Amino acid sequence: MTTSAEVHLPRQTKGKRPHFFEDPSIDQMMTFLLELTTEVGVLRERLDTVERLLDSEGSVTRAAIEAYQPDAATEQERAAWRDAYLKRVLRMHAPE
Amino acid sequence: MAASPKEIPVPNIEELFRPTHDERARQGMVSMIRKHAIIDMRRALKADYDERIEPKLEREGRKPEDWAAIEKSLEREPSYRFYSTIRYNAQEMCYLSVQPAVERALPAMIDLAKDLAARNPTGGSLRLNPNLEIPRYITALDVHLAPGWVHAEYTADDVAQGAVVAFGGKVFSGQHPYRKKAGAVGESISYWLKRQYPNFKPKRILDLGTTMGKNLLPYCTAYPHAEAYGIDVGAPVLRYGHAIAEHEGIPVHFSQQNAEATDFPDGHFDLIVSSFFFHEVSVKATKKILKECNRLLAPGGVMVHMELPDEATVSPYENFFWNWDTLNNNEPWYTSYRAQDPVQLCEEAGFGRDRSFKLHVPDSLTFGEERYEKFMRGELESPAHGSGGWFVFGATKQ
Ligand SMILES: C[S@@+](CC[C@H](N)C(=O)[O-])C[C@H]1O[C@@H](n2cnc3c(N)ncnc32)[C@H](O)[C@@H]1O
Repeated sequence: MTTSAEVHLPRQTKGKRPHFFEDPSIDQMMTFLLELTTEVGVLRERLDTVERLLDSEGSVTRAAIEAYQPDAATEQERAAWRDAYLKRVLRMHAPE
Repeated sequence: MAASPKEIPVPNIEELFRPTHDERARQGMVSMIRKHAIIDMRRALKADYDERIEPKLEREGRKPEDWAAIEKSLEREPSYRFYSTIRYNAQEMCYLSVQPAVERALPAMIDLAKDLAARNPTGGSLRLNPNLEIPRYITALDVHLAPGWVHAEYTADDVAQGAVVAFGGKVFSGQHPYRKKAGAVGESISYWLKRQYPNFKPKRILDLGTTMGKNLLPYCTAYPHAEAYGIDVGAPVLRYGHAIAEHEGIPVHFSQQNAEATDFPDGHFDLIVSSFFFHEVSVKATKKILKECNRLLAPGGVMVHMELPDEATVSPYENFFWNWDTLNNNEPWYTSYRAQDPVQLCEEAGFGRDRSFKLHVPDSLTFGEERYEKFMRGELESPAHGSGGWFVFGATKQ
């Protein structure tokens, strides 16, 4: 049996994947889009950490970024940013 | 049972989970995408249906009369397609966003869980049965789109799926107004029980399909003198849940058993509960499990299960909303479970019809005490299931 240090958890789900579009490529594209949207949010948060560290410490290291723990107010600001960001990116056309 | 005095604090298995800066940011994003789908887009879809789609069909003399017709009418609408695809992807991403950190933490988590299972510093216990046959309805597909769900084991004494389901669940509900706190359901139902049956003092509590006991722990706090038992078929989640309960200082007896036929004696429990459980088993199993509850419940006891509202309780549109999960969230039993009347199911299992009940109870964390008193006096209705209330059904025994 695999040792606990070697476990690689499966990333694919067992079961039939539904398609919400006639062309399944669009379903696949939606996955790409949402993953990319997420990564932009991650990058933005990293930048936000850098800025906050520069504000408070005047310098920044990778270790400081890793160790950074947002306080409740920062976490709230970040949540508000993510919410507004998603509302912009996922803007729907008016139904017709 | 009282917890033994704790000289040395019991370590917290959840503290071993240490996502990187970017992994944490990713989890935060996924929580918000999930919120966007389940709150904002769900609302937009309902508005599109009410204001445009239904009136149009009504004018054409083809107003959808049941949930299946509503679903059909929406299938090609962008509001439905994007709601669905975003909801589906967010669900998958909940688990994907925590898996790497779980993999890194796994050796230490396993060591800790093993140690706590051997020592039981708080006085709980863990009883596994490696020969237990996991029902087909659990293994056939990955429920909730969680690869490996609650049962898969990848190494000896594995707890990985416990951690994946626990932390994936936190991402899932991280921005949900009524699910932010783990154990909100157990807290809400025990709050209701204490008001509904003020003299009820259970000695033994059983939680069916307990997963990691998240919604069992609040009952232990509400009834601190009761012995608590949690059963599930998944070993990794039981190991993980046992480690959490020992850390929390709440003694719980976890055992790996099929709720259709347990090894507890007749009349062993005076409170039997479950949450998010019956819709995950086949209708045939539901009937067997309720019969088993009847066997296990002592005279004077109470059984209360939190579940999805049944089809007859809610509107056709809401039925469409709930049944979405059947094919789109690997929940194959959702629709057939919801088609049953829970009171009738209790009666068929041997509980008296006049002693069986179904109702919505308010979410005690968000409803407010004053409004709760009004609810108890029948002057105020509970919010709907998942929107500030929880649907429950059950029975009492004379
Ligand atoms: C959605 S989870 C329940 C969540 C949990 N009660 C909570 O509130 O957090 C359903 C659980 O039921 C368990 N289960 C399904 N069928 C079962 C059976 N026949 N006997 C015992 N457990 C079962 C699954 O393994 C899974 O952990």
